[in-house]
Amino acid sequence: MRVKAPSVKTSESFSIRDGSEPRSMSSAQGILVGRVRAVAARQGSLIGLVLLIAFTWTVFGLAGSGFLGSFNLYTVGQLAARDAVLGMAQALLIVIARMNLAVGSIGAICASLLGYMLVSMSVPLPLALITVLVVGVLAALVMGWVELRTKLSSFIVTLAFLSAYGGGALWVTKADQYEISSSALNWLGSGTFLISSLCPLVIVAVVCAVALWFVYNRTSLGWKMLSVGANTRAARASGVDVSRVVLWSYAISGLLLAVAAIMESSYELQVNAGVGSDWLLPSFIAPVLGGVALVGGDVTLGGILLAAVFYDSLQSGLTILNVPSYWLQFAQGLVLLVAVILNQLRHARQRRSRRPERAGAAPGGEEVAVA
Amino acid sequence: MRRALRVPWVPLLVATVVAGLVLSFSTRAFSNTFNIYSILQIAAVDAVVGLSQMVVLAIGDMSLAVGGMAGLVTVVVGYLYQVQHWPVGLAVLVGLVAGPVFGLVNGAIIARTGLSAFIVTLATGTAFTGVAYGVTSSIPYADVPSVLVRLGQGRAAFFPYLLVVALVASVLIGSILHWMPFGRALLAMGGSREAAVLSGLSRQQSTIIAHTLSGLLAGVAAVMYIGVLGTATPATGTDWLIVSFAVPIIGGTALAGGEAHAFGCLVAGVVLATINDALIVLNISTYAVEMAEGLLIFVAVFAGRLGQEAAGTQRPEYGHRGGHVGPRSSGQGAVAREPLDGAQVT
Repeated sequence: MRVKAPSVKTSESFSIRDGSEPRSMSSAQGILVGRVRAVAARQGSLIGLVLLIAFTWTVFGLAGSGFLGSFNLYTVGQLAARDAVLGMAQALLIVIARMNLAVGSIGAICASLLGYMLVSMSVPLPLALITVLVVGVLAALVMGWVELRTKLSSFIVTLAFLSAYGGGALWVTKADQYEISSSALNWLGSGTFLISSLCPLVIVAVVCAVALWFVYNRTSLGWKMLSVGANTRAARASGVDVSRVVLWSYAISGLLLAVAAIMESSYELQVNAGVGSDWLLPSFIAPVLGGVALVGGDVTLGGILLAAVFYDSLQSGLTILNVPSYWLQFAQGLVLLVAVILNQLRHARQRRSRRPERAGAAPGGEEVAVA
Repeated sequence: MRRALRVPWVPLLVATVVAGLVLSFSTRAFSNTFNIYSILQIAAVDAVVGLSQMVVLAIGDMSLAVGGMAGLVTVVVGYLYQVQHWPVGLAVLVGLVAGPVFGLVNGAIIARTGLSAFIVTLATGTAFTGVAYGVTSSIPYADVPSVLVRLGQGRAAFFPYLLVVALVASVLIGSILHWMPFGRALLAMGGSREAAVLSGLSRQQSTIIAHTLSGLLAGVAAVMYIGVLGTATPATGTDWLIVSFAVPIIGGTALAGGEAHAFGCLVAGVVLATINDALIVLNISTYAVEMAEGLLIFVAVFAGRLGQEAAGTQRPEYGHRGGHVGPRSSGQGAVAREPLDGAQVT
């Protein structure tokens, strides 16, 4: 006899509409109108981000010397490229109303594997890169498989893998440091592309974003991902194989994490299992700031790219203004907090305009009278 | 006896004791007084860290800011004592007031905005740690009150004084959650949010209370840890994330809320500290500890589920789950939840 397990809360624990009813998918027309509105709101948020970046660049350009110099812009691009790819890896799971806490640990596995193969085994670079990408996909697939088999929330599954993978990578490598000396990787991370302030990594990030845009907008898989995130029951009722969609999302997320690990290895050139220990926060900041709905069912890749640029501009700007590096972490937390509250306001407004009859049921609104 | 076996942490305690006995026969380094003391000392801190997470899990929320709050409390105490030369008692008192205030900030933001606790506490936790690093420029306060060090490192044979603090904390939190009205309200909120709200409880109030309590316990853990380390470092709590979840979950607290086992946190703290110690004594890499924690979370969640299934077939509810206002899966709550594909009782 099997019993419903109370700890199963697949999407609920990460949902801001706890307690309210799932998004209605009753009429096709309603969905269409909703999507048009969503697209309009998205353009608005993209313009907002561009203005925000322009504002930061103006302020830092005037206040600190060298912010708009090609060297600094190069560095901003280099870091923003990695953060954008991290954000996309996280967004893939946010879209299906899940999350991945193990981003950094998969990064640690991929980076130390790359280092080990290139340094200790002298594997040719292309083969090493392909192996790392495959391992990234497999590592994420294992988490997806476990989540589906156990029906536990993605939070607890990825939390467990955060320590299992991270500890495993440290254990196997004994925290060894690998000095990579590959000229091709060096060019990728520290060379220039066409103009002197453009790091080739930026091209990698843009290619990833375009590929994901294609997946979400032009393939049935992408639409299924969005529908699973918007309303799993409706998606299942419409014949979507939810398990398959979840596994695909994890797999692509793992692929992007492997790419991010390669990107970081390419400019650090000294890698160990500590790579990725600081990835969790940027992986959430980029999508949240970019306007990806935390409840799933919505994605904006341009927003993620722009958010990463803004985030790293802020970091480098504060550094140029001689703000001690100890305060940078505080700034990161603050940016995430502000972004998440703004994001919430925007999506609440969007939801209200889509179904005015439920305006009173907005999160947090229902129990005010009870108190 | 049958009832005792159904309490989630009893089998765990038995397993740990057996493992400890086996270890003490296989290596002499394990069973000496000092080693047992150091296991229990770490266990005491871990238990309070776990309690801090448990009170939030009780209402079905989570907090990623436990470590951040602890780091900032550590800095507050260290700053007031070393730089401002405040008396020990006053510095610790202010630290223990600061903890709940940080928790209140978390709770208020979550309750006011309706955002998920995950993303809010990820942000505030980072900000708290950031302030701790910023204020101290990452330099620990080395001048630590000797009273705290005596408390943190003192022992009677194998029994660390800190264990008394952890025991008192878990008894207090257990009593609050199971016997005091506002504590039972927290469990009710976690058990069935809709039923609790319909019975007149305020979800926002529960959120604020739970996070404030969590801040207080994080503060207690921070003060304990100052004594253990002998310095007040802003890095305190930066590696508490996994432990804070592993301890309550291994101790039998449900992630979904509505259930809390304060004493289970204590047992889980001992389990984790024993594993940690065993891996060191047996000369296995300390990095394996981190891996073991992750795997243990899985084991614990599964064991908890098996236990609940067994309990479910015998009687619908067992004594420990106080504060249930209504049946869990009836009412509107079921609408928002995922369908479970045949996992329902048939």
